[in-house]
Amino acid sequence: MLLTVRDLHKTYKSGTHALKGVSLDVKEGEFLVVIGLSGSGKSTLLRCINRLVEPTSGTISFLNQDIAHLKGDQLRKAKRQIGMVFQQFNLVKRRSVLANVINGRLGSLRTLESIFRSYSDGVLADANKCLETVGITDYANVRADTLSGGQQQRVAIARSLMQNPRLLLADEPVASLDPATSNSVMQYFEKINKELGTTVICSLHFLSLVRRYASRAIALKAGEIVYEGSPDDIDQTWFKRIYGEEAEEVEIV
Amino acid sequence: MNEISAMGSDRAVPVAAGEKAGRRIKYIKATFLDIFLAFYSILVVQRAIYDRFILDLRDLPFSWTETGAIFILSCVIGAWWTYTRTSLSCRLFGIAKNNNVAEWTVEIFGWFLFDITFIAGWITTKISIVSLFSGEGVQGAARLFGALFTPQFGILNDALFAMIETIYIALIATLLSIPPALILSFFTARNLMKENKFTYAIYYILRIILNFVRSIEALIWAIIFSVWVGIGPFAGMLALLVHTIASNARLYSEAIESIDQGPVEAISATGANRIQIVWHAIVPQIVLPFLSYTIYWWDINVRMATIIGLVGGGGIGNLLMQYQGLARWREVGLIVIMIAFVVWVMDYVSGRIREAIY
Ligand SMILES: Nc1ncnc2c1ncn2[C@@H]1O[C@H](COP(=O)(O)OP(=O)(O)OP(=O)(O)O)[C@@H](O)[C@H]1O
Ligand SMILES: [Mg+2]
Repeated sequence: MLLTVRDLHKTYKSGTHALKGVSLDVKEGEFLVVIGLSGSGKSTLLRCINRLVEPTSGTISFLNQDIAHLKGDQLRKAKRQIGMVFQQFNLVKRRSVLANVINGRLGSLRTLESIFRSYSDGVLADANKCLETVGITDYANVRADTLSGGQQQRVAIARSLMQNPRLLLADEPVASLDPATSNSVMQYFEKINKELGTTVICSLHFLSLVRRYASRAIALKAGEIVYEGSPDDIDQTWFKRIYGEEAEEVEIV
Repeated sequence: MNEISAMGSDRAVPVAAGEKAGRRIKYIKATFLDIFLAFYSILVVQRAIYDRFILDLRDLPFSWTETGAIFILSCVIGAWWTYTRTSLSCRLFGIAKNNNVAEWTVEIFGWFLFDITFIAGWITTKISIVSLFSGEGVQGAARLFGALFTPQFGILNDALFAMIETIYIALIATLLSIPPALILSFFTARNLMKENKFTYAIYYILRIILNFVRSIEALIWAIIFSVWVGIGPFAGMLALLVHTIASNARLYSEAIESIDQGPVEAISATGANRIQIVWHAIVPQIVLPFLSYTIYWWDINVRMATIIGLVGGGGIGNLLMQYQGLARWREVGLIVIMIAFVVWVMDYVSGRIREAIY
């Protein structure tokens, strides 16, 4: 088992109980998709796994280490093996595409080395390879914010690949992209999952995308897992149970 | 049925309690404000209007017992006024009764406050239409203006050197302020310091110190430093330096507070350490605002440097003071024109540079 989450709780300072005892197993090589209504706790779950959010209680065991209770250097070492892609891309806008990709390697570089940007040839070669994987080599030296949304998200994927991650988290990676671009970005996740064997946990809003890319799906509702299984088994009854009676499925190509 | 009503009341209680506490705080604030307003009104009417204007006393007598008595009186009036819920403060804090008495009180007392403040201000400023338009005075002013508009170019060399000195004072003060302001700004940026109690305490203390330093005008710093290191350009530079550090640290830290947190999260998620996060996620977002603020402060410092010269901070202000003391108005005219020109140029140039940056 690559990742084992047990009885995970998160209560925010505001008092919102966002996760209420989530337990979850993720095998190496899976493409797990998390679905659920807005506010159901998808982001909170993903962010607890790489400790962008501090879990209130519970354990998160990743490669036999309890991430939930790691500190300092050890926590940073664990974080290096978990990549993350965000809805808003979160690139440093004024810096070049290449610089943004290299940022993904910072965790393994020495502080002085990274401050003076004296990267070794190996690092530069890796960065170019990651850009190649997402098909952006032509834009290596342009400013990140001049790219389109889909291209920026691919740069963000390349940045996370620089970590050589065992696990890739993606929090609604295509929610700010148009349908066609969404599909092309999702295909890169598929490629990484299939070709590099990287385990992916991704939250999505559109069921059609879930059915197409997920090897397994879980559904969160008010901080609890209400569905777990194959994405193809989510029928009308389940759909209404997850998204509520009024919800209707929208198709995206 | 029982259960439902129990739940309902459960939920209702905290809300009502919160509202009640809120009203009590408002009530206390209103009481204090009413006491202050009553105290202010009585004092102004008695001292500025009655003593100074009607009795025309030169030196106002001061006695603690009298002031104390007035204070106690205003406490009674203020407390009673708030209690009746008809006062101006009750209206301001939204707890006034909705009746005619309250409305009239607010209107009449509001105007009363404005009027006595204006009258007291007028009396204190010794506004005198007579001296503004007295024949002798107008003649003097005309002579002076005439001199200003026929500047004496004989001192052009001296003035030029003094002006250059002023610009350099401002430049050095601005440049030297950058490193300390930079360091301070990271420690006074809320988003970087709020994480744990220790750093938050540092943030808080530094903020208070900087606010205090900034609230002292550069002019006052110049007086302090001219005693410390002696009159001259160095004192002026130090004064500007201290003021610029405090002001720029504030502007810088605001720039840090308004950065996009996204890249910070993304880079910390890769396992980077704090220094790397600051250098690669925060710094790229703030260099341009920092540069822009720094140029802006150089511009401001040139103006301040001329003023600081007046109290012994060197440069063109010093020269202006000398010729003004000798009543050589044509020389003063030249200096004034030169200052105006340089300030205009600086303003224009710094504006253009800052535009180009963004
Ligand atoms: N930083 C925070 N502070 C306080 N409450 C938060 C915070 N982040 C999330 N929450 C709350 O926690 C709950 C779960 O939020 P979360 O962002 O995990 O939902 P989500 O499933 O990702 O929703 P969305 O689809 O809108 O992104 C929500 O009720 C939200 O208001
Ligand atoms: Mg979310």
